[in-house]
Amino acid sequence: MNRIQSKLKENKKLLSIYLTAGYPNIDDTVTIIQSLEKNGVDMIEIGLPFSDPLADGPTIQDSSTSALKNGMTTEVLFKQLKDIRKTVSIPLIIMGYFNPMFQYGVEAFCKKCQELGIDGLIIPDLPVDVYHNEYQAIFEKYGLINVFLITPQTSDERIRYIDSISNGFIYMVSSASTTGAQSGFGSEQTQYFERIAQMNLKNQQVIGFGISNNETFTQATQYAKGAIIGSAFVKYVTKNGTGSINKFVDTILG
Amino acid sequence: MKLKICGMKYQDNIEHVASLQPDYLGFIFYEDTPRHFDTKIPEISNTIKKVGVFVNEEISTVIEKVNEFNLQAIQLHGEESPYYCSILRSTELFSDPEPIEIIKVFSIKDEFNFAALDPYENTCDYYLFDTKGKLPGGNGYRFDWSLLNNYPSTKPFFLSGGIGLDQVDDIKKFKESEAYKYCYALDVNSKFEKEPGLKNISILREFINKLNDKKTMNYNVDEKGYYGEFGGAFIPEMLYPNVEELRQNYLKVMAEPDFQKEFNQLLKDYVGRPSPLYFAKRLSEKYNAKIYLKREDLNHTGAHKINNTIGQILMAKRLGKKRIIAETGAGQHGVATATVCALMGLECIVYMGEIDIARQAPNVARMKMLGAKVIPALSGSRTLKDATNEAIRDWINNPVNTHYIIGSAIGPHPYPDMVTKFQSVVSEEIKWQLKEQEGRENPDYVVACIGGGSNAAGTYYHYLHEPDVGIIAVEAAGLGVDSGESAATSVLGKEGIIHGCKTLLMQTKDGQITEPYSISAGLDYPGVGPMHAHLCKTGRAEFMSITDSEAMNAGLELCKLEGIIPAIESSHALAIFEQKTFKPDDVVVVSLSGRGDKDLENYIDYFKI
Repeated sequence: MNRIQSKLKENKKLLSIYLTAGYPNIDDTVTIIQSLEKNGVDMIEIGLPFSDPLADGPTIQDSSTSALKNGMTTEVLFKQLKDIRKTVSIPLIIMGYFNPMFQYGVEAFCKKCQELGIDGLIIPDLPVDVYHNEYQAIFEKYGLINVFLITPQTSDERIRYIDSISNGFIYMVSSASTTGAQSGFGSEQTQYFERIAQMNLKNQQVIGFGISNNETFTQATQYAKGAIIGSAFVKYVTKNGTGSINKFVDTILG
Repeated sequence: MKLKICGMKYQDNIEHVASLQPDYLGFIFYEDTPRHFDTKIPEISNTIKKVGVFVNEEISTVIEKVNEFNLQAIQLHGEESPYYCSILRSTELFSDPEPIEIIKVFSIKDEFNFAALDPYENTCDYYLFDTKGKLPGGNGYRFDWSLLNNYPSTKPFFLSGGIGLDQVDDIKKFKESEAYKYCYALDVNSKFEKEPGLKNISILREFINKLNDKKTMNYNVDEKGYYGEFGGAFIPEMLYPNVEELRQNYLKVMAEPDFQKEFNQLLKDYVGRPSPLYFAKRLSEKYNAKIYLKREDLNHTGAHKINNTIGQILMAKRLGKKRIIAETGAGQHGVATATVCALMGLECIVYMGEIDIARQAPNVARMKMLGAKVIPALSGSRTLKDATNEAIRDWINNPVNTHYIIGSAIGPHPYPDMVTKFQSVVSEEIKWQLKEQEGRENPDYVVACIGGGSNAAGTYYHYLHEPDVGIIAVEAAGLGVDSGESAATSVLGKEGIIHGCKTLLMQTKDGQITEPYSISAGLDYPGVGPMHAHLCKTGRAEFMSITDSEAMNAGLELCKLEGIIPAIESSHALAIFEQKTFKPDDVVVVSLSGRGDKDLENYIDYFKI
């Protein structure tokens, strides 16, 4: 069983953290991953930086630009992760835009992920139907779980379709926004969370976008299996470096 | 089965038809038909046999014509006797020693007595069965082919009479029948004409391809949003509902009569269309070709951009949108968007790179005067590509009430197709304007500059499937294709994903999108629209690269020769005449996509005016 699937079976709410690979410094990737696991984080999204991250707000875009300036590339990331499974056992997901994977070669990329012990991928700009028609077989061949996004505007019918081709969790975008744009959940969001919870989907949901503290984490995990924090964490390491990650995690988990 | 194309009349058209490699071309030497042939036959491939068609003509005249036009076959369409045929078959008066082929025509109405063939069995090479009509041939309707099931002879025959594109299936069925056994060739004529004697190349080509079960290359978007391998909609799920709403509605809305009426009315009264097709006499003299300029620079707001924004604002209104966003590089599309928003009273937000805001102050002022809010894109390289990113982010954040007016033939499907269709008014006008001025709709070449490619898409659109029209796409080479400061995507780009579509784009080996460079802000984009990527990959369009200095000089030359100050974008298209030589009678239509007022600063700096 894939590590993501095992993790989802655990009887607890999951905290997942996103980091931008190669940020703040090129060699911080592995240090941050290890530190996150040590401090009780359940799952990690490793952001492969892209020059034009359309779905991200300024925080993650800026960290991506810095990471690229630091010299981060697909090859460099794969080198950094070479021995990651010797020290880290929680699920690892690579999150990135499609073009760098396409240039690396989708199959070669997936194969490499399997070798390194990567469990899944999140590719915001790879459309569901293109994945389904062209790439699903490749992902499955290398044991990778592809995670799809849904938003408050996604129709029930489409959610059912996405549920039918998912085999890990569904990434619930909390509101119509890019990353890092929200600062708390209103009634509109909670209604949406409830609506999805009531759909009894085959795959559990993890909520992302707009989770930045204990309050929003608790709110989100009331309705979903877990929550993902991205921009708030990137901001934290921008300000505090990689030395006090325990404090960040503690604040979230309360 | 061989193919004969009959009723040839015009020299250019003969050459074009010959390029389709039929087996026979027919020339009618009978005066009482609009297809009467009275000029010269141009040099054509010797694999094509030239047939002279005669009706009860004097034998001496037939021999004269055969020798004069070097004909390889004679088709006899009147009441020529077996004896008449035998004279032609045995005469030694033909200058070509190769035996001439004699084709005797029989017209069939509802029935046919095959006994009529008997006397001709030994005096001709082929029969041709045509529909009995007022004229000897070219009547445009067919007879009942099943009558040929009773064909008693073994002589090969031509099947003729009203054969058109819509008979391909019937022909395929006929091929399965008993009657097909001795069928030697198909003979086509009036169903493939624009007017008597003028054959429609694209329909002929489609016919030939269909008969041979060859797939015709399609340069338009397919039902999945792809141009060949390019296009699609590579968008985050957050954008899916917006793009899907547009995809489901755009064709329907565009087809509504009141939409078309309003669109056309605004193009006419507000934009000032049709834009002139101007024969540039002095430019033509200098470069020894017939150069026409399609004057998009004379549109309201000074460029082709307004054609698209008018279309999209009407679309947005019909989709119930209240808020309009756009990206802009040099500010031309921003101004065109701000203009239509003012016209319709809709809120307008334009994203523009911080660097571009600094270098395009007059356009920023224009947009503000027109009531738009200009928001600087502060991320990345702070130019067009980043402005596009910001506009897309805005759309993600405002999925319900906002329409995003993309300014070029780029972005996720259906944008490239929608923008192309709104811009296609350009080539639609060129067709009838050229017909008025040159007597033909098709030029030999259409030329346009390409950044994302919206003016080019509009200029090419109605010519994409006209093989006799050459398509030339002109990219900005910046300081030179190999200088590292360039925007020549077809040379430097690789297949990848940018702003929601698969296309050719400039990128690092690692798949990071790189910054292009051109002196022209409108061509300074790292990708091309997916349609153009397809035209490039299939070889349908010839891509040329023009450097900053070549473009600037061509722009200044147009000022001096024609009294027109072009936008630097358009100057790139004009610069090809220094690189490429045309024939003196080649008709070359260049899209003069914009006027140069916005570029005065650049021209002043460059030429130290």
